[in-house]
Amino acid sequence: MKEPPNQRKRQTADSLSEIMNIDRLVHSPARLSILTYLFVVEEGDAVYLLNHTGLTWGNLSANVTRLQEAGYIEVVKEFKDKKPHTVLKLTDRGRHAFHEYQNTMKGLLNTKSLSSVSGGE
Amino acid sequence: MNTSDQKQIERRVFTSFFQAGFIEAFTGIFLLQLGLPALFSRSGFGDLESALLALPIALILLVVVFIVRRFVVIPRLGHVKFLPERRRRLSKLVLVPVLTLIAGVVVGYIFSENTSLRYTFVGQIPFSLMPIIVFSAAAYFLDMKRLYVYGVIVGLTFPLGKYLETIIVSRNALPAIILFTAFVFLGMAIVFLVASLRKYQEPEV
Repeated sequence: MKEPPNQRKRQTADSLSEIMNIDRLVHSPARLSILTYLFVVEEGDAVYLLNHTGLTWGNLSANVTRLQEAGYIEVVKEFKDKKPHTVLKLTDRGRHAFHEYQNTMKGLLNTKSLSSVSGGE
Repeated sequence: MNTSDQKQIERRVFTSFFQAGFIEAFTGIFLLQLGLPALFSRSGFGDLESALLALPIALILLVVVFIVRRFVVIPRLGHVKFLPERRRRLSKLVLVPVLTLIAGVVVGYIFSENTSLRYTFVGQIPFSLMPIIVFSAAAYFLDMKRLYVYGVIVGLTFPLGKYLETIIVSRNALPAIILFTAFVFLGMAIVFLVASLRKYQEPEV
């Protein structure tokens, strides 16, 4: 059975209003990149993140601090061969936040919502 | 980003730790260890002497590889602990030396039963199958498709060398072709290493 046009418009508006609830801490490209590369491993050091995210030391440090303050990542500073070594790990909270973000974005960007906005369906 | 994208990212991260040419270097050293004793023994040295002459070369190369890996490559790549699923898969890599051992025992048994087989073209088939099986197992567990190709290249070296021996009637064709393949792999290792060093600069702290 075909949905009435008003109901469809309301559903689209509801799904798009979710964008206002999106986790902005995760949404930033630099932090999203950091979280993505920490999500696919158990833990990684700063050099690993620098290589894969393409961020500078300063930028990485600033964004890591924000994610650490939010409790999304755990930072362990240690010495390895008498050199400072920073190990980063996604916390359960961070993993959950990243997962939530993924689901929200998936919902927002799915073809049905977009095509109904553009009147394609 | 869906699950398959994440798997792709995880795979890319994992394989980036194997792009510095160490697999190629180990393959090259392994082939050197087969080619050099064969060359020495055909030049008049005994089997034991040939093996002892070739051993220091391999040991020196192995030490160089470990030093480069420890002090040059790893500090540039960083340290990562992979997810348990990947670690489980990696732990199955232990099957590779087990397979090598089993294949070696089978080949040894076949040759002990029929010594003349060793010098025939057909006798080279087990030598071809061994690297193909071993490299395929490594390719599967390491999730790296290029290792299948390496298995075929190393596998083809032995029958090709034997074939060349029969057509150009030179006793040195087999060791020569093994050594040529070894140098190709060592050359590839250097190219991969240089590319990796250019890609991953030493971090400035």
